[in-house]
Amino acid sequence: MSSAEWQLVGFSLRMALASLLLILPVGLALAWWLARKDWRGKALVETLVSLPLVLPPVVTGLVLLQLFGRRGPVGSWLHTTFNYDVVFTWRAVVLALATMSLPLFVRAARTAFEEVDEKFEQLARTLGAGEWRVFFTITLPLAKRGVLAGTLLAFARALGEFGATIMVAGNIPGQTTTLPVAIYQAVENGEDVHAWTLAGVSAVIAFAAVFISEKLQRRRK
Amino acid sequence: MTDAILTANFSKRFSGGPEIVTDDLHIGSGITVLFGASGSGKTTILRCLAGLERPEIGTIHFGEEIWFDAGRNIFLPSRKRGVGFVPQDYALFPHLTVARNVGYGLNDLPAAERTVREVETLHWLGLEGLENRLPRELSGGQQQRVALARAVVRRPRLLLLDEPLAALDTPTRLRLRGELRQLLRQLGIPTILVTHDRIEALALGDDVVVLHGGRNVQHGAVPGVFSRPVNLAVAEVIAVETIQLGHILEVRDGLATVAVEAARLTALATDLPAGVREVYVCIRAEDVILMRADTIQSSPRNRLVATVRTLTREGPLVRASLDCGFPLTALLTHPACEELDLREGGQLVALVKAPQVHLIPFAR
Amino acid sequence: MKNKIPVAILSSLFALQLHAAQVTVFAAASLNESLKQIAADYEKTSGDKIIFNFAASGTLSRQIEAGAPVDIFFAADETKADALEKKGLLVSGTRKSLLGNSLVIVTPTDAAAIHSPAELTNAAVQHIALGEAKTVPCGTYAKAYLEKLQLWLAVEPKVVPCESVRAVLAAVESGNVDAGFVYKTDAAISKKVKVAYEVPAADAPKISYPLALVKDAPQSEAAKRFITYLDSDAASAVFKQFGFIVLSSPPAK
Repeated sequence: MSSAEWQLVGFSLRMALASLLLILPVGLALAWWLARKDWRGKALVETLVSLPLVLPPVVTGLVLLQLFGRRGPVGSWLHTTFNYDVVFTWRAVVLALATMSLPLFVRAARTAFEEVDEKFEQLARTLGAGEWRVFFTITLPLAKRGVLAGTLLAFARALGEFGATIMVAGNIPGQTTTLPVAIYQAVENGEDVHAWTLAGVSAVIAFAAVFISEKLQRRRK
Repeated sequence: MTDAILTANFSKRFSGGPEIVTDDLHIGSGITVLFGASGSGKTTILRCLAGLERPEIGTIHFGEEIWFDAGRNIFLPSRKRGVGFVPQDYALFPHLTVARNVGYGLNDLPAAERTVREVETLHWLGLEGLENRLPRELSGGQQQRVALARAVVRRPRLLLLDEPLAALDTPTRLRLRGELRQLLRQLGIPTILVTHDRIEALALGDDVVVLHGGRNVQHGAVPGVFSRPVNLAVAEVIAVETIQLGHILEVRDGLATVAVEAARLTALATDLPAGVREVYVCIRAEDVILMRADTIQSSPRNRLVATVRTLTREGPLVRASLDCGFPLTALLTHPACEELDLREGGQLVALVKAPQVHLIPFAR
Repeated sequence: MKNKIPVAILSSLFALQLHAAQVTVFAAASLNESLKQIAADYEKTSGDKIIFNFAASGTLSRQIEAGAPVDIFFAADETKADALEKKGLLVSGTRKSLLGNSLVIVTPTDAAAIHSPAELTNAAVQHIALGEAKTVPCGTYAKAYLEKLQLWLAVEPKVVPCESVRAVLAAVESGNVDAGFVYKTDAAISKKVKVAYEVPAADAPKISYPLALVKDAPQSEAAKRFITYLDSDAASAVFKQFGFIVLSSPPAK
């Protein structure tokens, strides 16, 4: 593998990790709300969170483009207030990866939280713990395996994300070219060896991540 | 009865389930037993007092504090009530060591004081050496003590115990019953203890609240309530049987001779603390064997000449109220009754094995 | 006499059926509207049906190499046709260079004006859409032009590669890029962009659209007829109407 190829892998890994920084706080909060609370619009929220799993990725990309493009509601505010561009920059990559992988994480984390017996949380409350403390000292540690499995799944998904990424970040060499995008481009250009090398790396990382994730989720005491 | 520290008047219903009502419930500052059959709502009431469930209607007052008032939409969350709660399965945090479990409630204290309190409580409950064990590595009795330690380490204002001995096997339960009683007395914290076991109620409580049909139906000092149920409902719950005051005459070779009125009974003294003189003598009706007066030697140590006062038919069983020098209740099958030709005023012999004469220390 | 008319109609319809062919054309994205109009006119008189696949020329040649069943290849630059010819995928003797075009720089209608290519290096210009240089002829031309002006190194970090010239147009229309390079004919079609600068023919690289019959074409006879039509005055008029330059010269080679 050439140094340019390693750089590409490095870039993809960094982007996937950065997307985890977005996914974890949002995903944990969502998973906890869905696991522990009931409210009127709950089914709607569940559906919205699951949508990116089922919609064609380009559709999700399109929605993101509309929202975060320079003329979109969020994008225009960012552009005029901070001269901050999202579309066609690495930020769009992180955004696309995070949006596509969030549902996988939320599913796994939600199941993990639901499997934590509420009696422990209740007892912690009788001992004076506030809700944040209960979450970080009781709920999360007891759900640790499932949450970790979800994180790995999200990471693997982020590494493989293509449809939404290409819509909202384009394919700018060195700036927004991720592994899957580079593979597509290589195939388009007839660079078969390059394409297969990158595909191989992709496959190995994905395999490892999913394998460990499955192990974590399956082992029961 | 001591002055009430807690008054509760609330109603709680789970969807599709029965309604649990506390009707002018007053809890004093000693050890109060919430007594009733399984499903009578004892645990629900305890959880409502702990702040883990929210009733629909009513109020809960602790001293001057309002813990719950449906009308004014006040609900004090559990963490602000200063209660110590021990559920039936202890709910020890499985991922934390004994030390961490016990110290969990001390987060607000400075580190130094936290350590002191932890060590002190662990020592007091005999848990030294177990600090770094995980809950799954402990025996049932040890787990119970850790749960208790965790609850009391914060010096709670109210201690709530849900069937504290139910999760233990019988020999451990009997042994720990005495220990628990001592511990609770030493702690001196107002305690509400839930149980369905009559003997436990007698052994551990100062006052008892009897629950029937999801409602508190009688409240008073333990011996009084148990020997004089106010109505048939309470009587059903308690299952009236023989509870009499006795005086220990002699203890020798692990056996105690107890005087109950004019009669003399032999009982096991193994669980009896030294120096106890006054006891409750408890005999379950089903443990009383009846024989015709003119029979040969038999093993039960206690042979009492009895006169039949009343016979009450209860389905396939017959409840016999006897006079052996003290009131004794026996329960036998209808065929047995026929064979013995039992009738009111008749005389026969009542036999009770020494191990089935339960002695509960009376000293307060 | 009464029976003969329906029979005549039926038989001519039948004849039409027998002769009506479906011609598949892979054409550069910039030829979209003009070719569709020409094909509509042609279908009326010939009875054949024309089917199009519009995309970047590089994408199309990749598909032909992979064995897509196609009759006519109409690209936006000669190198794409050269590559296919080298692989023996074009029928020799059928290739013609039909059209030329001009390169323009476009900006969103509400954006600040750009007066020259040099202004592309300004800090205010953050993103520039260009066709992906290896597959999109318009992008290849644009890159060659910028290299010639020695602006490429300064501009390259701002480049957002797009998969066809129409994708470039869409990007500029959306306002997510500050400028883009398209053909004059594309700019003419869109109302949401304005032409900031037209590259003079002398400075621009030579833009030439080759047309050829693909080897093993399913409908080679019908295809040849359409190719002839494309070279006709009627077709040229339509091309000119859309702003193309009609070359009257023989094949580029």
